[in-house]
Amino acid sequence: MLLCNLVSIAIRVGAPRIVPTHGIPFPTGDPELTPEEERRLRRRLLDRALEALGTAVDGPTVFDPAETTADADAAVDTPGSPESAASEVPSP
Amino acid sequence: MSATRVRDAERPSGTALRLLAHDVVRASVGEETSYADGLLTVGTRQATECFAHPALAAVRVSCASPGDSTRIIKVLDAVEPRCKGGEPAADGPPGTGVFPGLLGPAQPCGRGETHRLSGAAVLSAGFLPRAQEAVLQMSGEGAELSPLSATHNVVVEFEPAPDAPWEEVAEALRVGVLRLAVHLAQAAVTAPPDSVEELELPSTGSAGLPRVVAVTNIQTQGAFKDVLVYGRTMSGSLPTWIDPCELADGAVVSAQYGHPALKNPTFVHQNNPVVAALRASEDVELAGVVLCPEPVSEREKRLVSEHAARLCAALGVDGAIVTKEGGGNADGDVALKLDALEDLGILAVGLFAEMAGRDGTAPGLVVAPSRANALISTGNYDEVVRLEATDNALGGERLGIVDAAATDELDIPVAAIYGSLNPLGWNRLTCAAEL
Amino acid sequence: MRIVHYVNQFFAGVGGEEAAGVAPAVREGAVGPGRALAAQLGSEHEIVATVYCGDDYAASRSSATEEVLELVRGFEPDLLVAGPAFTSGRYGLACARLAAAAAREGIRSVAAMHPDNPGLDEAEPAPVIESGRIGREMRQSIERLAGAIKTLARGEELHEGDGRIGRAPRRNRISETNGATRSVELLLARMAGDRERTEVPLPSFASVTPSAPLEDAASARIALLTEGALVPMGNPDRLESARATRWLRYQLDGLDELEEGAYQSVHGGFSTVAANADPHRLLPLDVARDLEREGRIGTLHHEYLVTAGNGTQVATARSFGVEWAAELRQAGVQAAILTAT
Repeated sequence: MLLCNLVSIAIRVGAPRIVPTHGIPFPTGDPELTPEEERRLRRRLLDRALEALGTAVDGPTVFDPAETTADADAAVDTPGSPESAASEVPSP
Repeated sequence: MSATRVRDAERPSGTALRLLAHDVVRASVGEETSYADGLLTVGTRQATECFAHPALAAVRVSCASPGDSTRIIKVLDAVEPRCKGGEPAADGPPGTGVFPGLLGPAQPCGRGETHRLSGAAVLSAGFLPRAQEAVLQMSGEGAELSPLSATHNVVVEFEPAPDAPWEEVAEALRVGVLRLAVHLAQAAVTAPPDSVEELELPSTGSAGLPRVVAVTNIQTQGAFKDVLVYGRTMSGSLPTWIDPCELADGAVVSAQYGHPALKNPTFVHQNNPVVAALRASEDVELAGVVLCPEPVSEREKRLVSEHAARLCAALGVDGAIVTKEGGGNADGDVALKLDALEDLGILAVGLFAEMAGRDGTAPGLVVAPSRANALISTGNYDEVVRLEATDNALGGERLGIVDAAATDELDIPVAAIYGSLNPLGWNRLTCAAEL
Repeated sequence: MRIVHYVNQFFAGVGGEEAAGVAPAVREGAVGPGRALAAQLGSEHEIVATVYCGDDYAASRSSATEEVLELVRGFEPDLLVAGPAFTSGRYGLACARLAAAAAREGIRSVAAMHPDNPGLDEAEPAPVIESGRIGREMRQSIERLAGAIKTLARGEELHEGDGRIGRAPRRNRISETNGATRSVELLLARMAGDRERTEVPLPSFASVTPSAPLEDAASARIALLTEGALVPMGNPDRLESARATRWLRYQLDGLDELEEGAYQSVHGGFSTVAANADPHRLLPLDVARDLEREGRIGTLHHEYLVTAGNGTQVATARSFGVEWAAELRQAGVQAAILTAT
């Protein structure tokens, strides 16, 4: 699946599973955050990515990292739900 | 009476401009300028006087007609001879009132009567800075690539005065060509016209047909690469609506000498082909022209394009046909407008030339629209064409784009042929498959 | 005409995915779908030989096209026919590259595949004929291909009417009406509801078929990929910063983190300051190892694949995607996370 900032282009080229990021130069980071916050952001993005991978989709679908059901603060295993909210975007 | 009905009762309707056409079937240079039975004679002395200016040392005027074994090189601008008819304008000799802001004061034009010599054009040819060499073949192989091989061309070659700044040379030449265009049209004013066109006032939508606007982008890149509206630049401006009848009276004049295949000479603004096609169609109503500058920065292009789309929406049009002037840079201006228009629910078509490489396999558009997709092809810029050798040449003795005599047989890209890929859809060249 | 036919290992009857790594080889005469093609072509034309190659071999070895072409040359054919590849990306890419290489050296060739096949744009200058989407549509696909071959035999160029797809070379002609008149006609057609008609086809992005969802991440091998041009400091393998023509791979075995200063991004399309200060902003190795330790994922793949997605030609990017997919599948990877800039 695809972690990227330019979501409209990702949709246009047909990427099936998309998780939006904070900025073009740092898909799995954000220099505006403290190192701890950044690591938590990165974890949230990857948790959402795994949820996206486990979700059946018909076409380009954006998975908002804020809606991950995994607890990014916990270092222990938290099962993610395959029915997590995903916003379906009609294919172009 | 309601407010709406009062307005409708007072609104002018009907004909805005009567365009009286006098066909030219032969043209030659002679003692005195005259026009009779289709024969145009260009008086040498009178023609030369149009160019009396300290920046020009000399000019030479000749004629090149369809079928002549003549090639014109270094073509700059082309202008259709036109002048006003009816009563003389209040502040000027008879005939002025066309090309406002350049000949005479910048006052509103596009009303009353205008005479035109159809089948004729005044051309300037020679060197100017930033001009790209343009070639026009009057007969034989290669002639069919330019629409001006079908007109009787009055060609003006020139010598700049020593030490004259090039901007002044260009201006003197430009004004001289316009003066000559008026002078020639005036010779036909007393002749009965061969045809009369009644150009109507802008549509109000009362006919119930879809209303379509021509969005005409013009180049605005400074000296030698500008297009003048009422004699002034549009660089830095926002788009404006303009009455097509104003274009007929020369409100838009080209001062742009690059892009032989992708330029809009003054002739094409006077005879805006998209306007003509919309008028000719029984299925749409012409809602006028929106003129837009072509800025050179992405941000400016976005500003102008969004404004053009909003202007079209405010006009309440149903469709728009978008054109440009220039190369790949200008593709962006068309692409942005097409997307902005479609986003506002206005269906849009764009005209593009393709830069598909010599063998036609490279991607043709430098900037393609993202959402709009209805595009007209005006041909592949890079395809190489053959021009057969000619007996005569005007505009120079040697070419610069290839090392050859001006009359030699040539294999050159169609990009160098004047008007061949014209972005306003003047010509018939295309890469579209036959239906 | 003497024809050589190229097919993949499956249509050559060698085997399925398990045989996708077989090297190029030859069979005499027509094989598999080639027999149906030969029947359609009749006695005038003969398929003298069938060259085949495993899809993974073709997609992952840069020498594959030349190896196959060498076999083709031996027969001195009048025509090379590749496919139909339907929507199979590796097969389509192999057909396209082969047809293109042959055409460039003067061997007339034609490929066949579905318009959505990622290989389509790589076939130039060879023409491509439209085939169905799946093998079940073989009969119609072969019929169309046979028709196109007969057109070529008559010395004619292939057009849309023959089922030609992909970018046909643009050629100037003088139309009956000028561009302005045609623009009004096109606008009227658009107003009447035709939203597809155009004289200039726009680059279209073929639809991507989503893969089935990952059933059990906890037992899966997951790979990290990036187009952020993250390479070892010094860019030892010279990855291009723009218009990349290559992709690279680097080891992650034994690494829990990407050491600051040991990596850099050579991407020319954005400011690399943030990424260079912390490479995890491009490749999230640290968190991936956490997930591995916690059992959220089975295994992190031992290497990452990288290219620079800056001004990349679409066709190149498509072929990289096909190659990466082949690569990762062969390595037993079940899912991949691609970071884009």
